[in-house]
Amino acid sequence: MDLTNLSSGQQLILSEDVFNAVRTASQDLAASTGARQVIFAETNGYPVTYVGDVKGLDLPGITSLAAGNFSATAKMATMLGEPGSFKYIYHEGQDRNIYISSVGFNFILVVIFDAEVALGMVRIFTKKAVDSLTDILKSAKFEEEKSREFLDREFKALLNEELDRTLPF
Amino acid sequence: MFINHALQEISFKLVYYGPGLSGKTTNIEFIYQQLEPSMRSDLVTLNTREERTLYFDFLQLELGRIKGKKPRFNLYTVPGQSYYRFSRKIILRGVDGIVFVADSQRLRMGDNLDSLLDLEKNLIEMGLSLQRFPWVIQYNKRDLPDVETVERLQSKLNFFGADHFEAVASEGTAVLLTLKTLMKSVIDKAEILVN
Repeated sequence: MDLTNLSSGQQLILSEDVFNAVRTASQDLAASTGARQVIFAETNGYPVTYVGDVKGLDLPGITSLAAGNFSATAKMATMLGEPGSFKYIYHEGQDRNIYISSVGFNFILVVIFDAEVALGMVRIFTKKAVDSLTDILKSAKFEEEKSREFLDREFKALLNEELDRTLPF
Repeated sequence: MFINHALQEISFKLVYYGPGLSGKTTNIEFIYQQLEPSMRSDLVTLNTREERTLYFDFLQLELGRIKGKKPRFNLYTVPGQSYYRFSRKIILRGVDGIVFVADSQRLRMGDNLDSLLDLEKNLIEMGLSLQRFPWVIQYNKRDLPDVETVERLQSKLNFFGADHFEAVASEGTAVLLTLKTLMKSVIDKAEILVN
Protein backbone atom coordinates (compact mmCIF):
# COMPACT_ATOMS: atom_id res chain seq x y z
CA MET A 1 0.00 0.00 0.00
CA ASP A 2 1.42 3.40 -1.01
CA LEU A 3 1.10 5.66 2.04
CA THR A 4 2.51 8.66 0.18
CA ASN A 5 -0.58 9.17 -1.95
CA LEU A 6 -3.83 8.27 -0.21
CA SER A 7 -7.12 9.48 -1.64
CA SER A 8 -9.58 11.59 0.40
CA GLY A 9 -11.46 9.65 3.00
CA GLN A 10 -8.91 6.80 2.99
CA GLN A 11 -7.66 5.93 6.46
CA LEU A 12 -4.02 6.45 7.30
CA ILE A 13 -2.74 3.46 9.23
CA LEU A 14 0.91 3.14 10.16
CA SER A 15 2.29 -0.28 11.10
CA GLU A 16 4.96 -0.82 13.73
CA ASP A 17 7.58 -1.76 11.11
CA VAL A 18 6.97 1.41 9.11
CA PHE A 19 6.99 3.53 12.24
CA ASN A 20 10.33 2.08 13.36
CA ALA A 21 11.86 2.63 9.92
CA VAL A 22 10.58 6.21 9.87
CA ARG A 23 11.97 6.86 13.33
CA THR A 24 15.39 5.50 12.35
CA ALA A 25 15.46 7.72 9.24
CA SER A 26 14.51 10.77 11.37
CA GLN A 27 17.22 9.92 13.93
CA ASP A 28 19.82 9.56 11.16
CA LEU A 29 18.84 12.94 9.76
CA ALA A 30 19.10 14.62 13.16
CA ALA A 31 22.51 13.03 13.75
CA SER A 32 23.93 14.01 10.37
CA THR A 33 22.73 17.61 10.46
CA GLY A 34 22.98 18.44 14.17
CA ALA A 35 19.40 19.67 13.99
CA ARG A 36 17.69 20.66 17.25
CA GLN A 37 14.53 18.80 16.34
CA VAL A 38 13.36 16.64 13.46
CA ILE A 39 9.61 16.07 13.30
CA PHE A 40 7.95 13.66 10.91
CA ALA A 41 4.29 14.59 10.68
CA GLU A 42 1.29 13.92 8.52
CA THR A 43 -0.05 16.78 6.45
CA ASN A 44 -2.95 17.32 8.86
CA GLY A 45 -0.44 18.23 11.54
CA TYR A 46 -0.28 15.02 13.54
CA PRO A 47 3.33 14.52 14.73
CA VAL A 48 4.10 10.88 13.95
CA THR A 49 7.55 10.88 15.51
CA TYR A 50 10.18 13.36 16.57
CA VAL A 51 13.83 13.45 17.51
CA GLY A 52 15.44 16.01 19.82
CA ASP A 53 14.47 17.85 22.94
CA VAL A 54 10.91 19.15 22.67
CA LYS A 55 10.61 20.36 26.25
CA GLY A 56 9.07 23.81 26.10
CA LEU A 57 8.07 23.31 22.48
CA ASP A 58 4.33 23.09 21.80
CA LEU A 59 4.64 20.04 19.53
CA PRO A 60 0.99 19.76 18.36
CA GLY A 61 0.92 23.53 17.84
CA ILE A 62 4.13 23.73 15.82
CA THR A 63 3.29 20.72 13.63
CA SER A 64 -0.24 21.97 12.91
CA LEU A 65 1.22 25.35 11.91
CA ALA A 66 3.99 23.76 9.82
CA ALA A 67 1.43 21.54 8.09
CA GLY A 68 -0.89 24.51 7.48
CA ASN A 69 2.01 26.57 6.21
CA PHE A 70 3.09 23.80 3.84
CA SER A 71 -0.44 23.18 2.56
CA ALA A 72 -0.89 26.89 1.84
CA THR A 73 2.28 26.98 -0.26
CA ALA A 74 1.21 23.75 -2.00
CA LYS A 75 -1.92 25.57 -3.12
CA MET A 76 0.22 28.47 -4.36
CA ALA A 77 2.32 25.98 -6.34
CA THR A 78 -0.82 24.62 -8.01
CA MET A 79 -1.94 28.15 -8.85
CA LEU A 80 1.42 28.76 -10.50
CA GLY A 81 0.97 25.66 -12.63
CA GLU A 82 3.33 23.40 -10.70
CA PRO A 83 2.40 19.70 -10.99
CA GLY A 84 2.67 19.12 -7.23
CA SER A 85 3.57 21.02 -4.09
CA PHE A 86 6.86 22.89 -3.69
CA LYS A 87 9.54 20.46 -2.58
CA TYR A 88 10.39 22.43 0.51
CA ILE A 89 9.86 25.72 2.32
CA TYR A 90 12.42 27.42 4.46
CA HIS A 91 12.15 30.14 7.11
CA GLU A 92 15.27 31.79 8.42
CA GLY A 93 15.29 33.45 11.81
CA GLN A 94 17.93 35.18 13.86
CA ASP A 95 18.82 32.11 15.93
CA ARG A 96 16.63 29.30 14.59
CA ASN A 97 15.66 28.14 11.13
CA ILE A 98 12.95 25.77 10.00
CA TYR A 99 13.05 23.64 6.87
CA ILE A 100 9.89 21.80 5.84
CA SER A 101 9.85 19.20 3.05
CA SER A 102 7.03 17.18 1.59
CA VAL A 103 7.26 13.41 1.78
CA GLY A 104 4.73 12.39 -0.85
CA PHE A 105 1.24 13.80 -0.54
CA ASN A 106 0.49 12.75 3.05
CA PHE A 107 3.53 13.61 5.15
CA ILE A 108 5.99 16.40 5.87
CA LEU A 109 9.42 16.43 7.42
CA VAL A 110 10.23 19.39 9.67
CA VAL A 111 13.84 20.18 10.53
CA ILE A 112 14.52 22.87 13.14
CA PHE A 113 18.14 23.92 13.40
CA ASP A 114 20.40 26.65 14.77
CA ALA A 115 21.60 29.53 12.64
CA GLU A 116 25.18 28.18 12.86
CA VAL A 117 24.27 25.01 10.96
CA ALA A 118 24.92 25.29 7.21
CA LEU A 119 21.72 25.29 5.19
CA GLY A 120 23.43 23.38 2.37
CA MET A 121 24.10 20.48 4.68
CA VAL A 122 20.50 20.42 5.90
CA ARG A 123 19.30 20.43 2.29
CA ILE A 124 21.54 17.55 1.21
CA PHE A 125 20.76 15.29 4.17
CA THR A 126 17.07 16.14 4.18
CA LYS A 127 16.84 15.23 0.49
CA LYS A 128 18.41 11.85 1.29
CA ALA A 129 16.04 11.34 4.21
CA VAL A 130 13.01 12.24 2.08
CA ASP A 131 14.04 9.69 -0.58
CA SER A 132 14.50 7.02 2.05
CA LEU A 133 11.20 7.87 3.79
CA THR A 134 9.36 7.81 0.46
CA ASP A 135 10.66 4.29 -0.23
CA ILE A 136 9.60 3.15 3.24
CA LEU A 137 6.08 4.58 2.89
CA LYS A 138 5.56 3.34 -0.65
CA SER A 139 6.15 -0.26 0.31
CA ALA A 140 4.04 -0.19 3.50
CA LYS A 141 1.88 -3.21 4.18
CA PHE A 142 -1.74 -2.65 5.15
CA GLU A 143 -2.42 -4.61 8.34
CA GLU A 144 -6.17 -4.95 8.08
CA GLU A 145 -6.56 -7.46 10.88
CA LYS A 146 -4.51 -5.41 13.34
CA SER A 147 -6.59 -2.30 12.62
CA ARG A 148 -9.80 -4.21 13.21
CA GLU A 149 -8.43 -5.32 16.56
CA PHE A 150 -7.36 -1.75 17.36
CA LEU A 151 -10.76 -0.20 16.83
CA ASP A 152 -13.06 -2.98 17.97
CA ARG A 153 -16.47 -2.67 19.62
CA GLU A 154 -15.08 -2.91 23.13
CA PHE A 155 -12.67 -0.02 22.52
CA LYS A 156 -15.49 2.02 21.00
CA ALA A 157 -17.76 1.37 24.00
CA LEU A 158 -15.00 2.28 26.49
CA LEU A 159 -14.12 5.42 24.53
CA ASN A 160 -17.77 6.49 24.58
CA GLU A 161 -17.87 5.91 28.35
CA GLU A 162 -14.72 7.98 28.76
CA LEU A 163 -16.27 10.80 26.75
CA ASP A 164 -19.38 10.72 28.96
CA ARG A 165 -17.15 10.88 32.02
CA THR A 166 -14.94 13.68 30.69
CA LEU A 167 -17.72 15.74 29.11
CA PRO A 168 -20.74 15.03 31.35
CA PHE A 169 -23.31 17.18 29.51
CA MET B 1 -8.35 9.16 11.01
CA PHE B 2 -4.80 8.17 11.68
CA ILE B 3 -3.82 5.00 13.53
CA ASN B 4 -0.23 4.65 14.71
CA HIS B 5 0.18 1.02 15.77
CA ALA B 6 3.66 1.47 17.21
CA LEU B 7 2.56 4.18 19.67
CA GLN B 8 -0.97 2.77 20.02
CA GLU B 9 -2.44 6.13 19.11
CA ILE B 10 -5.53 7.02 17.16
CA SER B 11 -6.18 10.54 16.04
CA PHE B 12 -9.24 12.23 14.54
CA LYS B 13 -9.66 15.61 12.86
CA LEU B 14 -12.75 17.66 13.66
CA VAL B 15 -13.47 20.96 11.92
CA TYR B 16 -15.72 23.84 13.02
CA TYR B 17 -17.22 25.37 9.88
CA GLY B 18 -19.71 28.20 9.37
CA PRO B 19 -20.05 31.82 8.27
CA GLY B 20 -17.81 34.58 9.63
CA LEU B 21 -18.59 35.69 13.19
CA SER B 22 -20.94 32.74 13.86
CA GLY B 23 -18.97 31.70 16.96
CA LYS B 24 -16.58 28.95 15.84
CA THR B 25 -13.60 30.36 17.73
CA THR B 26 -15.83 31.04 20.76
CA ASN B 27 -16.70 27.31 20.83
CA ILE B 28 -13.03 26.31 20.80
CA GLU B 29 -12.12 28.91 23.43
CA PHE B 30 -14.82 27.61 25.77
CA ILE B 31 -13.62 24.01 25.30
CA TYR B 32 -10.07 25.16 26.04
CA GLN B 33 -11.16 26.89 29.26
CA GLN B 34 -13.25 23.96 30.47
CA LEU B 35 -10.81 21.11 30.05
CA GLU B 36 -8.02 20.11 32.40
CA PRO B 37 -4.65 21.32 31.08
CA SER B 38 -3.45 17.69 31.05
CA MET B 39 -6.16 16.90 28.51
CA ARG B 40 -5.47 19.61 26.00
CA SER B 41 -2.74 21.38 24.08
CA ASP B 42 -2.22 25.13 24.00
CA LEU B 43 -4.75 26.98 21.90
CA VAL B 44 -3.20 28.13 18.64
CA THR B 45 -4.97 31.05 17.00
CA LEU B 46 -4.02 32.97 13.88
CA ASN B 47 -5.99 36.19 13.90
CA THR B 48 -6.10 39.35 11.81
CA ARG B 49 -5.57 42.68 13.55
CA GLU B 50 -9.36 42.88 13.98
CA GLU B 51 -9.29 39.61 15.94
CA ARG B 52 -10.96 37.69 13.11
CA THR B 53 -9.66 34.22 12.34
CA LEU B 54 -7.13 34.54 9.54
CA TYR B 55 -6.15 30.97 8.90
CA PHE B 56 -7.33 28.61 11.64
CA ASP B 57 -7.56 27.96 15.36
CA PHE B 58 -6.20 24.68 16.63
CA LEU B 59 -6.69 22.71 19.83
CA GLN B 60 -5.74 19.12 20.55
CA LEU B 61 -7.71 17.04 23.05
CA GLU B 62 -6.12 13.94 24.45
CA LEU B 63 -8.00 11.35 26.48
CA GLY B 64 -6.31 8.95 28.88
CA ARG B 65 -5.26 5.53 27.59
CA ILE B 66 -8.12 3.15 26.91
CA LYS B 67 -7.17 -0.53 26.61
CA GLY B 68 -3.62 0.79 26.24
CA LYS B 69 -4.56 3.02 23.32
CA LYS B 70 -4.40 6.78 23.28
CA PRO B 71 -7.21 8.65 21.46
CA ARG B 72 -6.63 12.20 20.25
CA PHE B 73 -8.97 14.71 18.70
CA ASN B 74 -7.57 17.64 16.73
CA LEU B 75 -10.01 20.54 16.59
CA TYR B 76 -9.72 23.18 13.87
CA THR B 77 -11.83 26.17 12.91
CA VAL B 78 -11.94 27.63 9.43
CA PRO B 79 -11.97 31.35 8.67
CA GLY B 80 -15.59 32.15 7.80
CA GLN B 81 -15.23 35.14 5.48
CA SER B 82 -15.90 34.28 1.84
CA TYR B 83 -12.48 35.41 0.56
CA TYR B 84 -10.65 32.76 2.58
CA ARG B 85 -12.04 29.91 0.50
CA PHE B 86 -8.64 28.33 -0.19
CA SER B 87 -7.78 28.23 3.51
CA ARG B 88 -11.03 26.39 4.17
CA LYS B 89 -10.28 23.77 1.53
CA ILE B 90 -6.84 23.17 3.00
CA ILE B 91 -8.18 22.79 6.53
CA LEU B 92 -10.87 20.34 5.40
CA ARG B 93 -8.28 17.89 4.09
CA GLY B 94 -8.43 14.66 6.07
CA VAL B 95 -11.46 15.80 8.09
CA ASP B 96 -13.32 13.11 10.06
CA GLY B 97 -16.23 15.18 11.38
CA ILE B 98 -17.72 18.66 11.16
CA VAL B 99 -19.57 21.01 13.49
CA PHE B 100 -21.45 23.54 11.39
CA VAL B 101 -21.90 26.64 13.55
CA ALA B 102 -24.86 28.63 12.22
CA ASP B 103 -25.68 32.16 13.36
CA SER B 104 -29.34 32.14 14.48
CA GLN B 105 -29.90 35.84 13.75
CA ARG B 106 -32.55 36.47 11.12
CA LEU B 107 -30.22 38.63 9.04
CA ARG B 108 -27.60 35.89 8.80
CA MET B 109 -29.72 33.18 7.14
CA GLY B 110 -28.22 33.91 3.71
CA ASP B 111 -24.68 33.72 5.10
CA ASN B 112 -25.47 30.41 6.79
CA LEU B 113 -26.78 28.96 3.55
CA ASP B 114 -23.82 30.23 1.52
CA SER B 115 -21.39 28.72 4.01
CA LEU B 116 -23.21 25.38 4.11
CA LEU B 117 -23.25 25.17 0.31
CA ASP B 118 -19.56 26.12 0.24
CA LEU B 119 -18.91 23.27 2.68
CA GLU B 120 -20.85 20.73 0.65
CA LYS B 121 -19.10 21.87 -2.55
CA ASN B 122 -15.70 21.44 -0.93
CA LEU B 123 -16.63 18.02 0.41
CA ILE B 124 -17.88 16.90 -3.00
CA GLU B 125 -14.53 17.93 -4.51
CA MET B 126 -12.93 15.59 -1.96
CA GLY B 127 -15.30 12.76 -2.93
CA LEU B 128 -17.41 13.20 0.22
CA SER B 129 -20.86 14.62 1.03
CA LEU B 130 -22.73 15.78 4.12
CA GLN B 131 -25.29 13.10 3.32
CA ARG B 132 -22.87 10.35 4.31
CA PHE B 133 -20.56 12.12 6.70
CA PRO B 134 -20.42 12.62 10.50
CA TRP B 135 -21.56 16.18 11.16
CA VAL B 136 -23.75 18.13 13.56
CA ILE B 137 -25.30 21.55 13.32
CA GLN B 138 -25.22 24.11 16.09
CA TYR B 139 -27.68 27.04 16.07
CA ASN B 140 -25.65 29.58 17.96
CA LYS B 141 -26.49 32.96 19.54
CA ARG B 142 -29.93 31.83 20.73
CA ASP B 143 -29.78 34.57 23.37
CA LEU B 144 -29.94 37.41 20.85
CA PRO B 145 -33.25 39.22 20.27
CA ASP B 146 -33.90 38.86 16.53
CA VAL B 147 -33.32 35.16 15.91
CA GLU B 148 -34.99 32.73 13.51
CA THR B 149 -37.12 29.97 14.97
CA VAL B 150 -35.40 26.60 15.24
CA GLU B 151 -38.09 25.13 12.97
CA ARG B 152 -37.18 27.57 10.22
CA LEU B 153 -33.45 27.03 10.68
CA GLN B 154 -34.04 23.30 10.53
CA SER B 155 -36.08 23.49 7.35
CA LYS B 156 -33.58 25.79 5.62
CA LEU B 157 -30.28 24.32 6.77
CA ASN B 158 -30.59 20.82 8.11
CA PHE B 159 -31.56 19.08 4.90
CA PHE B 160 -29.88 15.78 5.84
CA GLY B 161 -31.33 15.56 9.35
CA ALA B 162 -28.07 15.89 11.31
CA ASP B 163 -28.17 16.21 15.10
CA HIS B 164 -28.78 19.84 16.01
CA PHE B 165 -28.18 21.97 19.11
CA GLU B 166 -29.39 25.33 20.34
CA ALA B 167 -26.38 27.10 21.74
CA VAL B 168 -25.05 30.24 23.33
CA ALA B 169 -21.34 29.63 22.81
CA SER B 170 -20.32 32.83 24.64
CA GLU B 171 -21.85 31.32 27.80
CA GLY B 172 -20.87 27.74 26.97
CA THR B 173 -24.44 26.55 26.49
CA ALA B 174 -24.46 23.30 24.46
CA VAL B 175 -20.82 23.73 23.42
CA LEU B 176 -19.51 20.54 25.04
CA LEU B 177 -22.64 18.59 24.13
CA THR B 178 -22.17 19.55 20.48
CA LEU B 179 -18.56 18.39 20.62
CA LYS B 180 -19.30 15.14 22.42
CA THR B 181 -22.09 14.21 20.01
CA LEU B 182 -19.79 14.73 17.03
CA MET B 183 -16.98 12.77 18.66
CA LYS B 184 -19.28 9.78 19.21
CA SER B 185 -20.55 9.96 15.67
CA VAL B 186 -16.97 10.06 14.31
CA ILE B 187 -15.97 7.05 16.43
CA ASP B 188 -19.03 5.12 15.17
CA LYS B 189 -18.11 5.84 11.58
CA ALA B 190 -14.45 4.91 12.13
CA GLU B 191 -15.38 1.57 13.67
CA ILE B 192 -17.60 0.80 10.69
CA LEU B 193 -14.85 1.80 8.25
CA VAL B 194 -12.19 -0.36 9.85
CA ASN B 195 -14.46 -3.35 10.30
